[in-house]
Amino acid sequence: MSPKNSAQHTTTTITLVMLHAMGIVSLLGAELTGIKNGPQWWAFQPLGNAQTPTLHNDEWSTSDLDRFILDRLQSAGLKPSPRADRRVLIRRATFDLTGLPPTQTEVDAFVADGSPDAFAQVLERLLASPHYGEHWARHWLDVARYSDTKGYVYAREEKNFIQASPYRDWVIAALNSDMPYDQFLLRQIAADQIEPEGSPHLAAMGFLTLGRRFLGVTHDIIDDRIDVLMSATQALTVGCARCHDHKFDPIPTSDYYSLYSIFRSCAEKVVPCSATNPGTPDFQSGLLERQTKLNQAMSARREEQAMRVRNRITDHLLAQLELEKYPDETFTQIIGESDINPIFVRRWQNFLTETAKNKNRIFTAWHVFEKLAPDDFASLNNVATQSLKSLPPEALHPAVKRFFQTPPASMREVAERYGELLTSINAQWQKWLQKSPHATALPSAEDEELRRILYAADSPCSVPDEHLANNEWFFPTSVVVELWKLQAEVDRWLIQSPDAPAYTTILTDRSVPTTARIFLRGNPLTKGDEVTRHFLHALAGEKPRPFTQGSGRLELARAIASSANPLTARVMVNRVWAQHFGKGLVATPSDFGKRADPPSHPELLDWLARRFMNERWSLKELHRHIMLSATYQQNSFGPDNASDLTRAQELDADNRLLWRMNTHRLSFEEMRDAALAASGELDLRLGGRPTELFASENKRRTIYAKIDREHLPTVLSTFDFANPDLSIPVRNDTIVPQQALFGLNHPFLAARAKPLMAKLSTTANTSDLSKLSQLYSTLYQRPPSAAETSAALTFLNSSAPAKKSEASAWLYGFGEWDEATRKVKSFTPLPHFTGSAWQGGDAWPDAKLGWAQLTATGGHPGNNRQHAVIRRWIAPQDGMYGITSKLIHEPTAGDGIRAFIGHSSRGLLRSCQIHHSSEQLDLNPIALAKGESLDFVVDIRDGLNSDQFLWSPKITSTAPAPLGGSGESLSWSASTDFRLTGSDSLTPWQQLTQTLLLANEFVFID
Amino acid sequence: MTTSPQPAPLSRRDLLRRSGLGFGMMGLVDLLESGTARAAGQPNFAPRAKRIIHFFLNGGPSHVDTFDPKPSLQKYAGKSLPQTLLTERKTGVAFPSPFEFQRYGQSGIAVSELFAKTAQHIDDIAIIRSMQAQVPNHEPSLMLMNCGDSIRTRPSLGSWLMYGLGSENQNLPGFVAMCPGGHPVKGAENWQSAFLPGAHQGTYVDSKHTEVDRLIENIRSPHVMPEAQRRQLDLLRTLNQSHRQGRLDPRLEARVQSFELAFRMQTEATDAFDLSREPQHLRALYGDTVHGRQTLIARRLIERGVRYVQLWHGAGQPWDSHENIEANHRKLAAEIDQPIAALLSDLKSRGMLEDTLILWGGEFGRTPSVEMSGNKSKLGRDHNHYGFSVWMAGGGIKGGTIHGSTDEFGFAAKENPVSVHDLHATILHLMGIDHERLTYRYSGRDFRLTDVEGEILKEILS
Repeated sequence: MSPKNSAQHTTTTITLVMLHAMGIVSLLGAELTGIKNGPQWWAFQPLGNAQTPTLHNDEWSTSDLDRFILDRLQSAGLKPSPRADRRVLIRRATFDLTGLPPTQTEVDAFVADGSPDAFAQVLERLLASPHYGEHWARHWLDVARYSDTKGYVYAREEKNFIQASPYRDWVIAALNSDMPYDQFLLRQIAADQIEPEGSPHLAAMGFLTLGRRFLGVTHDIIDDRIDVLMSATQALTVGCARCHDHKFDPIPTSDYYSLYSIFRSCAEKVVPCSATNPGTPDFQSGLLERQTKLNQAMSARREEQAMRVRNRITDHLLAQLELEKYPDETFTQIIGESDINPIFVRRWQNFLTETAKNKNRIFTAWHVFEKLAPDDFASLNNVATQSLKSLPPEALHPAVKRFFQTPPASMREVAERYGELLTSINAQWQKWLQKSPHATALPSAEDEELRRILYAADSPCSVPDEHLANNEWFFPTSVVVELWKLQAEVDRWLIQSPDAPAYTTILTDRSVPTTARIFLRGNPLTKGDEVTRHFLHALAGEKPRPFTQGSGRLELARAIASSANPLTARVMVNRVWAQHFGKGLVATPSDFGKRADPPSHPELLDWLARRFMNERWSLKELHRHIMLSATYQQNSFGPDNASDLTRAQELDADNRLLWRMNTHRLSFEEMRDAALAASGELDLRLGGRPTELFASENKRRTIYAKIDREHLPTVLSTFDFANPDLSIPVRNDTIVPQQALFGLNHPFLAARAKPLMAKLSTTANTSDLSKLSQLYSTLYQRPPSAAETSAALTFLNSSAPAKKSEASAWLYGFGEWDEATRKVKSFTPLPHFTGSAWQGGDAWPDAKLGWAQLTATGGHPGNNRQHAVIRRWIAPQDGMYGITSKLIHEPTAGDGIRAFIGHSSRGLLRSCQIHHSSEQLDLNPIALAKGESLDFVVDIRDGLNSDQFLWSPKITSTAPAPLGGSGESLSWSASTDFRLTGSDSLTPWQQLTQTLLLANEFVFID
Repeated sequence: MTTSPQPAPLSRRDLLRRSGLGFGMMGLVDLLESGTARAAGQPNFAPRAKRIIHFFLNGGPSHVDTFDPKPSLQKYAGKSLPQTLLTERKTGVAFPSPFEFQRYGQSGIAVSELFAKTAQHIDDIAIIRSMQAQVPNHEPSLMLMNCGDSIRTRPSLGSWLMYGLGSENQNLPGFVAMCPGGHPVKGAENWQSAFLPGAHQGTYVDSKHTEVDRLIENIRSPHVMPEAQRRQLDLLRTLNQSHRQGRLDPRLEARVQSFELAFRMQTEATDAFDLSREPQHLRALYGDTVHGRQTLIARRLIERGVRYVQLWHGAGQPWDSHENIEANHRKLAAEIDQPIAALLSDLKSRGMLEDTLILWGGEFGRTPSVEMSGNKSKLGRDHNHYGFSVWMAGGGIKGGTIHGSTDEFGFAAKENPVSVHDLHATILHLMGIDHERLTYRYSGRDFRLTDVEGEILKEILS
């Protein structure tokens, strides 16, 4: 949608609709006239069949691909760059295919390999690596807006998807097995229709079902599916057509609502997708138990709700006369049991529309009176009644005829008479059931016909027998809460059971597909024409053949995954190219529309797309073609000849013609994985459930980190990670200080320096030179230069060991204050340091130690008096020591805290209880012997509630420094000494290592 | 701290020429022209305001109890209103405001006792009494107010400002969202950058803390002392300089500079959040409470060039007074009335109110009819998106004005209804941006904060 002129555009749409309403123009026809020129656009043209250019003076090309590139370079008077050296090539290829660095051994082997196919061998090794699939899966997951969570949901619902990691692992496996791309797509769109029950390929449908949930609003969930499908596979923005015809591309609203109809005709379903593993008996019985509870509640609630509607038929019919009182799903109301639920009003509305279309003989009278304008009702009702009386039974149900012997005074009365009729049928049926409990029908066919309005499976009184995600809107709010809680029990069992086999959420076709009507200006309450379910006009022609099988989703999938589709292969080839070269032949990989720049090398794009399809849509073949080319193997420095370089920089600064290779900057995932690989800690296990990104024990590849679209770690956004709500074809590329702050100050990188150094120290002797060269080899797979060696040694020599004496005076732990002895009963160190706090573990509160936490300036006691937090200071030598400190407890909630200052042998020195107040806790100097300690203890008082406090004591030695120091008084501050706590500070060697991990050479690949 | 020679900055034109940087590289370009008092983007015209402080009363403050007096409710007390509109829950009879209203200032605008201190500044304030959102539910309305779209993932106002104008201080995050005690409903989505670069997202600060390490992520190293870190950075620069030889990618230099900026940010951010540097009388003026402190921090931030500071009232949705609104609103208003009044005085005395925009409001207002639980009154009010109030003060605002009105009872906007798009268009206008020209191409479409709508509210501009 273009912002400009949109008002005018909307006006045009409305005018067309009005004209259409007057029968003057066909809406569809009018829409199409505006887009007739669409298929002229290059992207909608069939693939070209250009011959490889014939070149003179070509000693450079090694493949046809190169000849397309060189042709353009030569026409521009540019020269390609020389081949990159072998260390660069293997580093480039290894990151490019696996997202991981090569080892020194791999580099050495390749550098020494004199065989002509040495590089091809390297590629084969990398393509066969299971880590290839992990790396390339992440590229696809960017496009597929992958997330492990649903986004914002109410507390009643489980927020994690059950199908997320199975989908992610399916993508990885599909890429590793080089699944043909057409199959790859077909399964992601319609695996339910081409795969047997339990097939692992069902997990592919996560592609459609892993979108944000939009609080369950159907239109928005469908919009997300349309968007991801069309952007990812066709590089078209179809979403614009939700409100009006696409402004620039030939996509009318009828195409959007055609796709909408397809998805509206599908329902979600949870199914197992691991044919070989049904799970342990414990798992199965646990699942059965939870599912049974859910199913029983669901079927009882469905029946109860249907009864509610049947008992209030008149109200539902009267509601048809004031539809404006019943808002759409986006306007969420708390629905009580006695409320008329808007969704049933809409259901009756649709049902009545259908009865007009099918000429249902029960509702003939309704439709006759409905046509009378309210002003004419009084004058025409008589005539209408007379004409009804004359209808034969096949045109008007006899019971209805009996109800309309006299003219109704208003449409309201019509509704009331129908209500009365259907209510009496309902009563009759209930009575009949008491007589014959096993009856399935009323004895009289005429009565039975009426009964079926209320009781047939597709009755507008019924709640569809579907997953709660599809039918939650049908219930009162309290029931929705109840059912979601039961569903959450099932979901959590599937997500959390240690031995659960994979389950997924698929789409299945509903038995009766929906034929949607266009929402005028995107508003679901103002409907335009019906649309057929078909493929896009731009690709299927002006009169696309309507889909006929079920929802049409499989036919849609086939229209996409087709060699006749001019977009599918081009789009994917371009995506792969963009990952290898940093930029696509079409610079906007998810937009091949008219506002996008056309391809830089259109013939090459088509040539690659053709080969791709001819080689059974094999992505691995495509990688080979690209990576074995001279184009890919150029260096990134540009031509050796200075004037060639200058000319290239002047004429093609953007490098669109590829006179050199583009530098690759590691993504966040690559950087994290490479750092873990360098320190020897990387856990290379494949697949499985997600892990918390920065949990200290998480050493897995970053693709397995939990992606919570609601709480994406800020670090990921800072490093331009793909937004999991949007289909992202190209990540942003920013360099901002917050990235540098992460590198410098976040525990992650510093934590790698330690094992990395430890690894070296065990194998190297004490020689600094040897250590340094090992470090360079591990990080960069090369030896350090003389200048680098000297810079490193200078750094090491100038770095005094970290000043630890102050820091080491403090300890952080927990224990209990003993009332009887007035001393600390025990002191246990808090086990985990986050970088800013000591606490029980990564998570806070911790499962074992609860809320216990100490920070630079305060903390929080543990959950009971046995878990008071204790900040302990140990006297470094004999002397006189005084304390100044202020304890603050801010919250008004709760009952406050108790605090104690204790001496290791003398016990209590000071204490207080405070609540929403502060207390100065100072102590005049007292004599302490070396090794004696002062404890600063806080507990929860009587109850755990809002017990966080501020307390950062300062200890001053008042006597002159006893060890012949300068004579200044020494002081220890809990807050400033806090940061460098013993084991957490880095040694000079570790600081050097961290610096090398931060260097550009680690992050940029030539 | 030892000082190091600054690297010679590359000229922006040079880099753009050599690399063909596009919009996606804004962060990089920002960096290369680092320094203070420089906007990354260019305003379309001279701005009236350079920065914004936004008091977000999440949960939805009641307009009929604060800035939109409705004496007619008294007449209907205990009786049904002539028209009760559909909202999220059932409401019953008219519920007159339990709070006293009084006229203030030369403009004589009536404000309730809840904001008596703020009301002292009424002649600097323009109240919009005819705001409208789209639905009576928190989540979509929060998204609409912050990101201009109830449903879909779109960049927030602050991110658009960062994208359009950049920050005036590269050593601080330019868009800060403070909320004491946790996240508001919808969490970080309220300050998301969506398809804009992640650098433009809001930086979340839990203002219940007082320690700078806990206020800003990664602001201090727990592993290396500042002097040692300076040595690391010097070594890093040496290594990167030799690595750069012969290499053509301008990002290499940008990254070098990003480390220098980061190093400076550590000092400057620490300083910005350190309230002990404020005189005692100012700290007392704002009040030594969570809200007083967060408001004072906001002033220190904008003073240093931060573009947009959002001050959320608290975690969850504190202003959502479905029941017992008298006690709840009284408590909440007492928490922020003094800080808001203090901020207005403080800015004025510094001459900063002239080019600082203050925005006050929630995601919607509340019903004039009382919320019911079955047949029982809950003495509270339901959500109301049909009509509610927000106000603005400061740069470019005509003080002492009222724009628009609600109906006799305050249920729905009546005169001059104002959409959230209109509000956003006006805010951008005050910041020197034409809302129709601030666009970003994503997925084949040029997106705007105001989608295809937005009328500037000329009547409230000075």
